Amino acid sequence: MNAMRGDTGTAAIAVDNLSIHYGAVPAVTAVSFAVEQGEQLTLLGPSGCGKTSTLRAVAGLERPSGGAIRIGGRTMYDGQRGINLPAEQRGLSMVFQSYAIWPHMTVFDNVAYGLRVRNESGAALKQKVHHALDLVKMGPFAERNASQLSGGQQQRVALARACAFSPAVLLFDEPLSNLDAKLRAEMRIELRELQRRLKVTSLYVTHDLEEALAMSDRIVVMRAGAIEQSGTPGDIYNYPRTAFVADFVGSANLVTGRLVPALTDAARVAIAMEGGTILRGVAHGRTPGPEPTLSLRTVHLRLAADKPSLPGNAWPVTVERAVFLGDMTQVHVRWAGRELVVRQTEAASFAPGQPAWLSIAPEHCVLLEGD
Amino acid sequence: MTVAAGLDAAPPRQPLVSLQAATMAILIVVVAAVVLYPIYYLVQASLDVGPADVRPPAAYGFGNFAKLPDYATIIWNTLAVAVAATAMALVFGFLTAWILTRTNVPFQRTLEQLMAVPYYVTPLLGALAWSFLGAPESGFLNQLWRHFGGEGYLFDITSPMGIAWVMALFEGSVAFVMIGAVMKSMDPSLEEASQVVGASRWRTMLRITLPLVAPGVLGAAIFVFAEMLSSFSAALVLGTPARFYVITTAIYQLVSQYPPRMPLAAALGVSLFAVMFLMMFLYRRITARRSYVTISGKAFRPRVMDVGWLRWVLFGVCVAYVILSGVLPIATLVFTSVQKLAVAFPRWENFTTENFRQALSLNAVRSAMTNSLMLGLVTATLGVALTGLIAWIIQRSRLPGRGVLEYIVMFPQAVPRLVFAFGMMWAWLVFPVPIYGTYWVLLIAYLTVFLPLGVRTISGVIMQLDKSLDECGQVCGATWAYRLSSITVPLLKPGLLAAWLLIFVASVRELGASILLQGPNSKVLTPTIVEAWFSTSSELTAAMALIQTVVIGLAMIVFAELTRRAGRQGA
Repeated sequence: MNAMRGDTGTAAIAVDNLSIHYGAVPAVTAVSFAVEQGEQLTLLGPSGCGKTSTLRAVAGLERPSGGAIRIGGRTMYDGQRGINLPAEQRGLSMVFQSYAIWPHMTVFDNVAYGLRVRNESGAALKQKVHHALDLVKMGPFAERNASQLSGGQQQRVALARACAFSPAVLLFDEPLSNLDAKLRAEMRIELRELQRRLKVTSLYVTHDLEEALAMSDRIVVMRAGAIEQSGTPGDIYNYPRTAFVADFVGSANLVTGRLVPALTDAARVAIAMEGGTILRGVAHGRTPGPEPTLSLRTVHLRLAADKPSLPGNAWPVTVERAVFLGDMTQVHVRWAGRELVVRQTEAASFAPGQPAWLSIAPEHCVLLEGD
Repeated sequence: MTVAAGLDAAPPRQPLVSLQAATMAILIVVVAAVVLYPIYYLVQASLDVGPADVRPPAAYGFGNFAKLPDYATIIWNTLAVAVAATAMALVFGFLTAWILTRTNVPFQRTLEQLMAVPYYVTPLLGALAWSFLGAPESGFLNQLWRHFGGEGYLFDITSPMGIAWVMALFEGSVAFVMIGAVMKSMDPSLEEASQVVGASRWRTMLRITLPLVAPGVLGAAIFVFAEMLSSFSAALVLGTPARFYVITTAIYQLVSQYPPRMPLAAALGVSLFAVMFLMMFLYRRITARRSYVTISGKAFRPRVMDVGWLRWVLFGVCVAYVILSGVLPIATLVFTSVQKLAVAFPRWENFTTENFRQALSLNAVRSAMTNSLMLGLVTATLGVALTGLIAWIIQRSRLPGRGVLEYIVMFPQAVPRLVFAFGMMWAWLVFPVPIYGTYWVLLIAYLTVFLPLGVRTISGVIMQLDKSLDECGQVCGATWAYRLSSITVPLLKPGLLAAWLLIFVASVRELGASILLQGPNSKVLTPTIVEAWFSTSSELTAAMALIQTVVIGLAMIVFAELTRRAGRQGA
């Protein structure tokens, strides 16, 4: 079962119609996705959306109630055929949210654990452990007692331990959530680099948007036990499918109005607000209903003192209030009888009551699918 | 994907039954056998209305239960002693718990540690010591009373109230632990809220504090009352010589007299068991409901009341309790054991070390001591392994049926040890393998009656262990057995060692089960001390009791030292 990376070309995860129940309560219903060889896929969602349950089912730590899980072409779980391999026979590896560093062992013994389970010993074991520790820059700490490590160091050891026995698949359960913000940002990049270098197939779970965007090849957004949308980070961010995704993945203004058929075709969509204001957007292959909703990212809205020269969505508005957030300023403006939130970096000069011009490129106004 | 298909063609190796499931099945069968087999025979004996020597019974009926009204005095005695003792124990427990958790009493930490002393002294030692202090004629305190001009005697420890007093002193520390836990877990903001709206301190206490702790105190009352009903040693030592019986001592009398009256003893035992079972059920109901009312999961320290100069009075109350239940009994045993004939005002030539020499040279004592220590070692070692596995499966496995296991394991909690031993005796007498009267039956009895103790202790530490420590080993590919030995056991070591020590000490001091199950060739220490009390001198008994205490103390020190060294090597 010691499938080496790249040897077989089969290391991919296929989750098919997976359902998980806790007693009678459904936690995950009919979830399907696949992770390609060497790909990093992230399950993103708020707490309680079923992402961790899904990951634990892939690991074999949670018993699903239906569906199938295949890893590297081997069936790990199949509800109909009654197959459920215990975690220890699945040959994958996992980094836990709490790190789960064994405090009674040295760093070396922690990292060597999976290798010893696989009957490795002697020079080969030593070499592999040190290689794994070097990967995470923890080489000098091998003989340290695991209980003497800081949070960030424990995180690195957990990572080295997960990689040491060259698993075909790596699972990550919110591995960075216990680190402080600065360390988290550093580790995010390191993890991504490491994953690229090892070309190991990974399934990553987080509720942190930035983490998901920065680290993933593909993101699966989950909500209430089901998949809401899946796609590349760019897709998810730029073309959210539903109001939930638009709202969860970064801040967005959701604008609902009456469809204007005259200005709508296969690619474009336009809605009319109360008072006649027209908002133009893109359909992104979706078909609008009579009262469609468009998603406008707060950072895509532009606020300026003068009327923009480019054609498109542009309206005179009144500034209601401005909140200084540090890296950017959040400005609330009154537009078409409602409030819109604009975030931009050079907005310090807008005072409440001041008139201004609000504009947004139509390609940044994305039609959402109805619920 | 061709390779993938090839791989899938080989069906995954999946054992029919996992090692965990098999282990649990075996544990359930074993535990159910040792727990329920004796209960079955106990019930069978209680329904036996046939001729005395015929087994299995020739006729069944409720005749034995119909005879119980003849024993109304004994039932009345039991209730009277248990009610009085429970009331006193609750007063001790409530007072000390309130003083130590809610007032600014001086030396609070030291006092709290000293509150464990009565637990180590045990009711048996307490009863022996208090009989030396409070027997109407020879009791030291009554001699003092007469010395200072008193008439007759000050008090009689062998009276029902005397017995209740001794029981209450030693159960008081249990009540203290239970009520103290309730008081500690109470959110002080609930009381502060009352004072903020203008209620006085006393009104707050009456209207807020008392109602809040009431369910916890009621739970403690029921638990303590059940313990009192099943308590044996104090009534045996103090009551039996004056022919004062409670249910447990009556059962012992009916079983050990000639001819024995087994069915009647069984009927008494089953009745007591039924009452205890009801008590334990009530206790669980009450404590389960309490838990979400006062324990809010927030971290807080209970509010401490400044009681001014009264704090020294309260300090005196706690010290008095520790002296009466711990210091005085041990001092009395020492004082008695070094005299030829124990009196309150001995002359120099009355002092002797002969009692210790004699106790240590008696073959019966030496073999009983060796047996007890050996049994303690084996019971503790096997018990930790057994209860450790059970606790892990109850707490951590996801196997269906672990609830059944938990239920059976906690069953012995509701059975008085003497009654349980009676069932075992009756059961093993007809067991095809002749183990009755051997160490084996004692070992099985100890393992069974200490199941709840071991499982509760080890469950407590398992619950504190992060689940993912084990799961990580699993994902790394380690089997259950490998994970147990490389992760779980090393991490649980302190808890396992504590459980080992608890079971060891409890085994060496065990009386209720041992006194019925020991055979002529398998004598153990505590029943031997009781026999000495009834058949030889008080002074020799005191020496033996002290030797037992010292030996247990030494064993605990050696054990603590060994674990400390082991811990250093591991670090």
